[in-house]
Amino acid sequence: MRYTAGDLAGRARTRPTSQQEIQLMVLTPDFDSRPIISFQHVWKTYPTGTEALRDINLVVPEGDFLFLVGPSGAGKSTLVRLLIREEKPTKGKIFVEGIELGRMKRRQLPHYRRKVGLVFQDFKLLPNLTIYENVAFALRVLGEPDDLVQSRVADALDTVGLSGKELTYPANLSGGEQQRVAIARALVHAPRFIIADEPTGNLDPATAWEIMQLFLRINARGATVVMATHNREIVDLLRRRVVAIDAGQIARDDRSGRYHDEVTKPQIRAQ
Amino acid sequence: MMKLRNLKFALNSAWQSFWRNLAVSLAAVLSITLILILAGVNLLVGHAFSQVVDGFRLKVSEISINVADGTPLQAIYDFQDQLKADPRVASVKFITKEQALLDFQADPNNAVFAQQIDGNPLDAKLEVRVFELKDVAAIDLLGRRWAGVDPTDPTNYQGDFVNRMLELSSWLGLAGILLMAILVVVSVVIVMNTIRTAVYHRRKEIEVMKLVGATEWFVRGPFVIEGIMTGLIAAAIALSLLVIAYQPAVERFHSDLVFIPLSYDPTFISSLARDLLIGGALLGALGSYIGVRRYVRI
Repeated sequence: MRYTAGDLAGRARTRPTSQQEIQLMVLTPDFDSRPIISFQHVWKTYPTGTEALRDINLVVPEGDFLFLVGPSGAGKSTLVRLLIREEKPTKGKIFVEGIELGRMKRRQLPHYRRKVGLVFQDFKLLPNLTIYENVAFALRVLGEPDDLVQSRVADALDTVGLSGKELTYPANLSGGEQQRVAIARALVHAPRFIIADEPTGNLDPATAWEIMQLFLRINARGATVVMATHNREIVDLLRRRVVAIDAGQIARDDRSGRYHDEVTKPQIRAQ
Repeated sequence: MMKLRNLKFALNSAWQSFWRNLAVSLAAVLSITLILILAGVNLLVGHAFSQVVDGFRLKVSEISINVADGTPLQAIYDFQDQLKADPRVASVKFITKEQALLDFQADPNNAVFAQQIDGNPLDAKLEVRVFELKDVAAIDLLGRRWAGVDPTDPTNYQGDFVNRMLELSSWLGLAGILLMAILVVVSVVIVMNTIRTAVYHRRKEIEVMKLVGATEWFVRGPFVIEGIMTGLIAAAIALSLLVIAYQPAVERFHSDLVFIPLSYDPTFISSLARDLLIGGALLGALGSYIGVRRYVRI
């Protein structure tokens, strides 16, 4: 059982809206909570003619912890870019909390992104701002008052274990600590779901594991986490939901999966 | 409250960005200063020229119809009444031969010549002022057809010259507008490029702002303010230089070209200041607005 009873209690069940959704719900019968993300026959072709994604169908229930795995160039990053609406699908629909991203107007976009916490491989911290200012930045752009900014930033830094480093600059922190700051920034406006693109890609195994612990804690608090990763050890150890993407298509979607398909890649499993 | 906080953020960011890219900012300020100086000179020359033209218009909208010696006074009064009744005529003034001589002698330029005059060779005349400059020719014709006119020197009307002067003034006005338009385009392009550089320097910050859900205008605001700041600083510098140079330049020009009645007009400085400061701010706002619309997209 991935979710606590408290997590699921009180959540209204959404009736399936399309044949596709019914099919997916039948395929994954334990997805009894409200889908927060749903991809319906999504295709993405870039102007260069590259077909990055082909007929993606995916339902992510609220509170899910999902690993997106697959070789470089498989389409993981495109999927992430579609989710944060940096790109629009060429065909098909993406719903997040019932709102279709493709139909979202440009001026609605900032309001959508405020619901999402984003964490990247390269942290994307501003080098000329202190740790406190970096985290506070996410609230400042929303025009939040100073006292609220102060308490929220203190909470977020406490969650990621960086209390006391408020006045330090990113350059004086280790990679793992910088990623913690990025996570604090992603958490500070209490988003409903977190999208992480290779968050452990630049970190050593021990630090990567610490960062993963942090994501697990955030997930346990109720936030949905979608994480694109190449980190086989972590995926294999956690045995969470794994969606493997290969050549722009979903190759498999295992509820409690491993990094490699156990049938087609036995040699990896043997290592 | 939220708007005020956003404004504070935008002002802070604009100020920081201006100083962070000081070289680019100063280059932009200097370029815009030069352009505004050109614009200011254009305004000052335009103002001086319009003063000249106004004086000239006043002069040429009045013609003198010379009265032949021996014309009965009654005939002159009749013609004067006829002219006064004409709707095109603003005023008619009769100058007697004696008055004409007195006026001539009173002019210090004629002092030497006046002493050599024997008797009174001057004609009595009717000075006619018209409302519209274009009607001078018609009044001239009326005067020439009048029986009492001096046939050897009927009027002082210089038809061709008037038309040419008026044509010249309208061409100069057009050239001034064209020059202004070019200056506006050039300065907008300069501000746009400054903003592009500022956007490039702050691309990482912009990316983070977008990712954490800043609205488009929250991201763009600081750049527009930076553009306005650049325009205002440039306008202030250009204005100071123009104010310092205005009087000496007019004096220098005045002594070189005595026949053009240019003059120093301190009252024009306040309107020049208003035009340059508003113009600078608008140019900065317009350039940066176009710049951010092009380079800052969410």
